[in-house]
Order: sequence, then C-alpha cells, then structure tokens
Amino acid sequence: MQDIAPEAVKFIDLNLMTITFLFIVGFIGGLVSGFIGSGGAFVLTPGMMSLGVPGAVAVASNMCHKFPKAMVGAYKRWKYGQVDIKLGLIMASSAGIGVWVGIMIQEWILKHWGEAGSNLYVSLSFVVILVIVGGYVFYDAYKTAKSGGEEKVTSLAVWLQKINLPPMVHFKTADVYISMWFTIPIGFATGMLAATIAVGGFIGVPGMIYVLGVSGLVASATELVIAFVMGFGGTVKWAINGMVDIRLTLIILAGSLLGVQLGAIGTTYVKEHMIKIVMGTIMIIVAVSRGLAVPKYLKQLGVISLQESTISILMGASFIIMCIALGIGALIILGSMWKAKRAETAAEAALVLDKSY
Amino acid sequence: MLGFMKKIHGKEEGQAAVDRRQGSGPDLESLRPAQETSGKPEVPRKILVVGRGDTLDEEAVDYAVNLAERLGYDLIGLNVNPALGQKSRFFSPYKYHLREKFAQRAKTAGEDLKKVLAKKGIGFEQVVKFGDLGKAVAEVNRQIKRIEFVITQGGVKEAEVNGVINLPVFSISGYQGEKKMARESDSRGIGLMGKTVGFGLGTAVLYAAVFMNTDTVMQYFTKGAWYAALPIATVFVFSFVHGAFSNYLWEALGIQAPKRVAPRPTAAKRPVARKRPRPELRIDT
Repeated sequence: MQDIAPEAVKFIDLNLMTITFLFIVGFIGGLVSGFIGSGGAFVLTPGMMSLGVPGAVAVASNMCHKFPKAMVGAYKRWKYGQVDIKLGLIMASSAGIGVWVGIMIQEWILKHWGEAGSNLYVSLSFVVILVIVGGYVFYDAYKTAKSGGEEKVTSLAVWLQKINLPPMVHFKTADVYISMWFTIPIGFATGMLAATIAVGGFIGVPGMIYVLGVSGLVASATELVIAFVMGFGGTVKWAINGMVDIRLTLIILAGSLLGVQLGAIGTTYVKEHMIKIVMGTIMIIVAVSRGLAVPKYLKQLGVISLQESTISILMGASFIIMCIALGIGALIILGSMWKAKRAETAAEAALVLDKSY
Repeated sequence: MLGFMKKIHGKEEGQAAVDRRQGSGPDLESLRPAQETSGKPEVPRKILVVGRGDTLDEEAVDYAVNLAERLGYDLIGLNVNPALGQKSRFFSPYKYHLREKFAQRAKTAGEDLKKVLAKKGIGFEQVVKFGDLGKAVAEVNRQIKRIEFVITQGGVKEAEVNGVINLPVFSISGYQGEKKMARESDSRGIGLMGKTVGFGLGTAVLYAAVFMNTDTVMQYFTKGAWYAALPIATVFVFSFVHGAFSNYLWEALGIQAPKRVAPRPTAAKRPVARKRPRPELRIDT
C-alpha cells in the first residue's frame, strides 16, 4: 500500500470554488452531524470525489476532519447531559476492530480493481445501507410524528434487554441494562461502515435506537464519542499511508466546527423524533444520489457500456440530488430550531402573563 | 425627589421605554407617597437593595426593612437584569419585549412592597436597570442622593458592587438567591467578545500558516509512516482553537441552549414481564 500510494493517488489543485464548496459543505455537514451524530461525511466523500479527489483520499481526508469535529460536538452535547460515555466507549472499542477490517477490505479492493473498483465499492455500500436503514428510520420517524412524538422502544430491544447474558452492563445516561454481547456487533458494524463510507453513524445510531433501546437523543450524542474514537484510529491508519490531504481536511474543518456546535445546540431546542426525521430523509436522498453514480464506475470497470453523455447527465443529477439532501437536512434542522425557539418565546410570554403577585 | 426620579427615568433607556408605553400617569402616581415621606425638610437617607431578577428576595428585603425602620431610612429597590443589557446589532425585538416584561414584573412586585412599606412609614422607590450590575448601582448612586449603604441579595456578590461605588455593601444570602440569579452577567459579555475575537485571530493565523506553505506542508504530511503524526497533531490544534472560536461565536450571536435542561431521555421503564398465575379454583373432572 505504502509503495503504491504516491503513484496511484493524486492530490487535486485547490481553487476558490473548491474551497467555498468544501467550506459550505463542511458547515452543513457539521450541522447535520452535530444534530444526528453522524453525517456530513456521506455528503463530503462523494462531494470530494465529484471534485476529482480519489475515493481513498476523500475517505481519508474526511475521516481526519471527522474525529476532531466529533470531539468538539461530543463535548458540547456531553455538557447538555446527552452523552453516555460508557456506551460510547464500549461501542467504540468494538468499532475499532470494525474500522481495521473495513480498511483492510478497502486496501484489498484498491489493489485488485484500482480506483474505479474502490469507488464502486464505496458507492454501492452507500446505496445498499442507506436504502435499508434509512428507509426504516424514516418510516419509524414518520410513525412517531403521527402518533404525537412519543418515542417507543422497539420490541426487539425489549426482548434483548430481557436476555441475561453476562457481562450485563448498565448504561446510566441511556437508561439501558443490557448484555455487552449485543453492543459489540453493533459497534463492529459501525466501524466497518465508517471505514468504508466514513459514516458509521448510519448503522450506529439506528442500531443503538432499535437494537439496544436507547433514545434518539442519547444515541445520536453517544455516536459522536464513537465517531471520535474510531475516526482517530482510522485517521492514524490512513495517515500512515500518506493518504490524508490536510488542505481539504482543514477547509472542511473550518466549516464543520461551526456547524457541529450549532447542530448540538439544535438538539436542545427540538422534539426528539426530529433527529430521526432528519436522519431518515437525508439517508434516502443520498442513497438515490449515489445510486446514480454507480453506472459510471461499472463502465470504468468494463462491466457495462454506456455513452459518455448519459454518464455525465447521471453524475450531474447525482451531484444535484446530493446537494438537495444536504440542503433539506440543514433546512429541517434550522427550521425546527426556529420553530422551537418561537414556541418557547410564546410560552415564556404566556408564563409572564400568568405570573401574578 | 420627584425631580431626580424623573431624571433617572429620563436617563434609563429601558425603563424610559416602558414608561412611555404605559403613559406617565401611573409613574407620577407612584411617586407621590415618596414625596410625602420626603416632605420633611431634609432628603431622607436611603438603603439601596440590589438584586438580579424581577423580584427582590424576602430575606434581603426583610433585613433592609428592619434596618430602615430602626434608622428612619427610606428604601430603594433596584432590579437589574444583566442578560438583557447587551446592546449590539443582534439585539432583537424579542429582547426588547423581554425587557418590557421584566420591568413590568419588577414594577408589580415593587408596588406591592410599596403599599406594605407605606403603612410602616418607609418610603420606597423601584428602579429597573439592564446591563452590568456594578454600573447600574453606580448610576443609581449618582442619580439618587443620600444612599447610605447597599444591601445585596443572594447571588449578587459584594465584589461586583464594591469596586464601583464608595459605599458599604452588605450581602444577604437568601435561599432564593441562587434560583433568581441570571445565567450570565454583562461583564461576561465583554469577555465573550474578547474571547471570540482572540480565538478568531488565532484561527486565522493557523490557517494562514498552513495555506501559505502548502507545498512544504503537503510534502511532509503525505509522507506516511511516522509523519502521520503531523496531520493528526495539526487537526487537534486546529480543533481546539477553531472549536473554541466557534463556541464563543455562537454564544456571542446569542445562539445557545435554552435555559431549560434538555429533556433527560429517561427511556420508558421496561419492567420484565412476569406472569404470576393467580390461584384459581378448578374442578378436576
């Protein structure tokens, strides 16, 4: 790996447009991940790839911006009492193994099928996981919103919590008492996915919510701890291979540190199921976007034949849809923050009027 | 008395705004008893009771009333709201609304107290200020003559008042003091701006340092192996400086978590479903 990296990987030239794009995407990505615990990367990885950054460099640079961002976000949400550190660390340690396995798969693919293979693998992982998990999250969020915003613990989680398989662990902030054996596979899957598409949270957060029975607020906050630990581990591995483009990382970081704090503040304003709504919506739209990119890589690998014009249309559409996903996520977050703030103002005014001496 | 009270109201912006809306009628009305008490040839000496929040603590007021009764002093109640003092581009109409409400509440409480004190023959005036507590006290001290000493209630530290005026300050800590304390004072607001600008500059310097030497940086940072420590250390440094900057920036822009604690996610208790068969009467056949 180390010997092929300098030849196989090209670092792109930066111009004002690229910088602006990365900063804005970084900001909105940060906003989303401060809010739902992960994200940003799912837009940034393809975003950078569409700017001509090779998949592996995109993932590496992304991961390198992710862990400091997650650290800042986790600290902020920990101050709000939303982070279950114990759960985060247990999940993270198993996620660490997942990250290393995921990276090994990536390296193997890059070696055998080159960049196009690596890109295809990343895109396909996006589509499959985002459609399945995102679809369920969105369905659940829709159900919750319809039933008046009351979050329910899934029957799967209730069942798993009843199984007494030592060592049993009590997670105080999450208020869950469950066998450690059920947290490990979720952590592992989170790590695997993180190493592949740099967004482990798309498995981690739904996993914590639906399998372990943690509330959306705590799950998304705890995910930031996991993201930090495995982002750090993953970055070390990528950086040892010299894949991190620090310029890209720093530009994204400039935006995302602003965004992640705003997103974290946002969670204190809105109803809990808003986290699921944002997550599900974004996942599905991004899945569509990445799905449109698959034919290009298939063609590069010689699996299918397509006209160049068709591919450029598909890539253009993919890019636009991705931007829409991003924009919609940010709009939902900012909109619900705004609404919650207004409602609070009204409530405060009412309280003032009620107060009598 | 009437004269200088008018002067106070004229100078105090927030209060003046409220008065204008309410009309000058009730204000003049409220000043009359004070005038009567100050009907004596001499301007009465006064005790200033200072508190953050819209009402004054019972403890502090009780103490002050006792003293005033014994010494034959009048009382001045000063309600300061430091949180609403920030005057910047981002001072929203909503905050003006809050100011008005605050002043209204303080006045209502003040009127009640005034009635009680009038029976005891103690004059009472209510002053509402926004912004820094020390400054507010100094201003009142300038405008109202013959304030002999200051009583602060729980939550207001003597040091906040001590530095700005040349009067003895006594602190009465009441059980409500903590609750009534505003979240942050305006003096923090000044520090906040300083921190925002400071960390902002730090961030700018760091970015300039990297992007003006891109070639060198890229050469070493992508070498791999032990050079991996370079990008990692870099992002840590950036995240501390830039992270602090963005934290203070949002705070300075007035975007922060609402006072209420985020709903603690106490997931529904899930008692293990245990079947306890009730004894039943059965007929074996």
